[in-house]
Amino acid sequence: MTTVDPTRTRAREDAPRVGTDHETVRTDPVDADGAVVDVQGLDLWYGAAQALYDVSLRIPRNQVTALMGASGCGKSTLLRALNRMNDLIPGVRTEGSVHYDGVDLYGADIDVVEVRRHVGMVFQKPNPFPKSIYENVAFGPRLHGFKGDLDELVERSLRNAALWDEVKDKLKQSGLSLSGGQQQRLCIARAMATEPKVILMDEPTSALDPIATDRIEELIQNIKQEFSVVIVTHNLQQAGRVSDRAAFMHLGRLIEEGPTDKMFTAPRHEMTERYLTGRFG
Amino acid sequence: MSAAPQAPEARGGWTVGEEAKRGRARRRHVGRAFAAITIVPVVLAVAFLATLLGGIVTDLFSWQVVASRNSAESFAWRQAPFGGDAVVRLELAAQGVDAAEIESTLDDPEQRRRFFARNRVEFMLYTDQGPFRWVVTNMRDRSIELVDLIPGFAQRSDLEAALEPGQRLLLNPWLDGGFFQRVASRNAVSAGLKTALVGTLIVILGVVALAIPIGVGTAVYLEEYVAKTRLARLLEVNIANLAGVPSIVYGILGLSVFVRLMQFGPSLLAAIFTLTLLVLPVVVIAGREAIKSVPSSLREASYGLGATRWQTVWRVVLPSAAPGIATGVVLAVARAIGETAPLLLVGAAAFVPYMPEGPFSPYTVIPVQIYSWISENSAEFRHVAAAGIATLVSVVGALYGVVFVIRRRLERTRA
Repeated sequence: MTTVDPTRTRAREDAPRVGTDHETVRTDPVDADGAVVDVQGLDLWYGAAQALYDVSLRIPRNQVTALMGASGCGKSTLLRALNRMNDLIPGVRTEGSVHYDGVDLYGADIDVVEVRRHVGMVFQKPNPFPKSIYENVAFGPRLHGFKGDLDELVERSLRNAALWDEVKDKLKQSGLSLSGGQQQRLCIARAMATEPKVILMDEPTSALDPIATDRIEELIQNIKQEFSVVIVTHNLQQAGRVSDRAAFMHLGRLIEEGPTDKMFTAPRHEMTERYLTGRFG
Repeated sequence: MSAAPQAPEARGGWTVGEEAKRGRARRRHVGRAFAAITIVPVVLAVAFLATLLGGIVTDLFSWQVVASRNSAESFAWRQAPFGGDAVVRLELAAQGVDAAEIESTLDDPEQRRRFFARNRVEFMLYTDQGPFRWVVTNMRDRSIELVDLIPGFAQRSDLEAALEPGQRLLLNPWLDGGFFQRVASRNAVSAGLKTALVGTLIVILGVVALAIPIGVGTAVYLEEYVAKTRLARLLEVNIANLAGVPSIVYGILGLSVFVRLMQFGPSLLAAIFTLTLLVLPVVVIAGREAIKSVPSSLREASYGLGATRWQTVWRVVLPSAAPGIATGVVLAVARAIGETAPLLLVGAAAFVPYMPEGPFSPYTVIPVQIYSWISENSAEFRHVAAAGIATLVSVVGALYGVVFVIRRRLERTRA
């Protein structure tokens, strides 16, 4: 491993450039059968600016994968590429493929709406609808013409989100009447109610206090029995605590990916090490 | 310390002593003067408003000396607490009609209709026989004298002393229940607001029914669907400009397009279409603002759950924007209710003594009716007009009250 010249302290200058021919460093790669999502050679442009360069990453089934990196490295863009949320932004162009259970999500005959039903999403800021708690959770199932016991589905989703006991007596109250942490768990329950296989979380705790964050992290650990989770986080400790695998990105490229414990104890790429030791980011 | 200080008191850049005191005094002075200037327009506005409302309210009442064709009797409130037939019985008895004939008049529908076509039961605040009494007035009662509310109090005893047999002194509240049940009349005493009220109601309902779907649809299209191109911006600017076009211009447009070209004639339908055009820009602008203020995080959440654009607009954006849209619609309606100029052009009639029967009926609306009353060559019509104005002001005031309540609720849910 190289040591860093201590006289160069400006973080930005310190971040080395990565060549266009960069090969992602992979430790214990996920095999195709164990992956629920398989990203291959993904390039993405916002207008003329390229945001993702040839990203290939397999998301393992029923595990938590953390995407890490400095601001603007493309981790949120990659996350949103997994359920085609980037399609909402005018001027976005994508090349490469994202396979979900063998189906190319960017295929010509794929309905975007269906993609988002299979790959749910939780956002940075809790964003419950200004409707009742019940209606928040029932929103997705109602959209897709759910024919079954809606009450049961709402209860199950709220139980899975560890929120049921706190709200079971006030399901008719507005979702906005809850505390920030409760709102975020409501959003997780809402995402789970459409019964996706994958849940994407874009810095889900960055707007929450430490106690609420604790509960969300615990929740993430519990739901991975049923769902595969991809989480973007700025918080290294959080990535270490909740994730099974981690992926480190820099300037639109996937630098290194592997099991979290191995990557945190023995990063193989120089830049991963610098990031993990706090020397830039 | 820098070079030679300006004042002997200045030390280390701080102003102290006399100079500091003067500075503080000057600042206080300027502050007070500024506060005094800002209070002037407020005082003026309150004074004007009080004058306006006071004028309307005092005009709602007047003293009348009337040569009655009926009995010239009045009946205490206690004798007939609910007015109506009980007062008629008392009046007919006072005219010397015997009990059997009274009952037959009231029971026979044809006689009854004829009686009420000529006579009205009215509650007067004061008569020469005392306060709060019922009278039965006749269409052909002759007005002898009309005195304004306040001077009337001073002249009351003179007026009472000068009463001749068959005459009576009344303190008439012009805005009473009967005012809304009577139709237009050449006679001030029997003139009422009923046709204008119904006309306004129909026109406003028509405007709301057209303006909400078209206006909200346009707002949704401009905010959620159309690409932000040059053309879209041009459209935006033009809609904003349309909101500022004088209403008479819409009247000319309505006259040439709806009345003439589409051959609606001077009808309710022409009025509804013209006023809809007038309020559409306001509804569109308010709708766009309301839609714009829906946080984009809610849209993302909806899309993230697999909603289509249409589902997102219908289930998330519009419900969240509804209070803002409703505010815009109510403000637009408040404007439409008071519009006179365009309706005069598209043919609201001044004298409509019967109810509209269909979309092509002639009609009148409250402001046009007020306008025609004020133009009447009779002092009594001033009081009728005041009653109409009071009605219009109350309706518009109530609509603003609705807006206030909506805003309060909006602020609470956003908090």
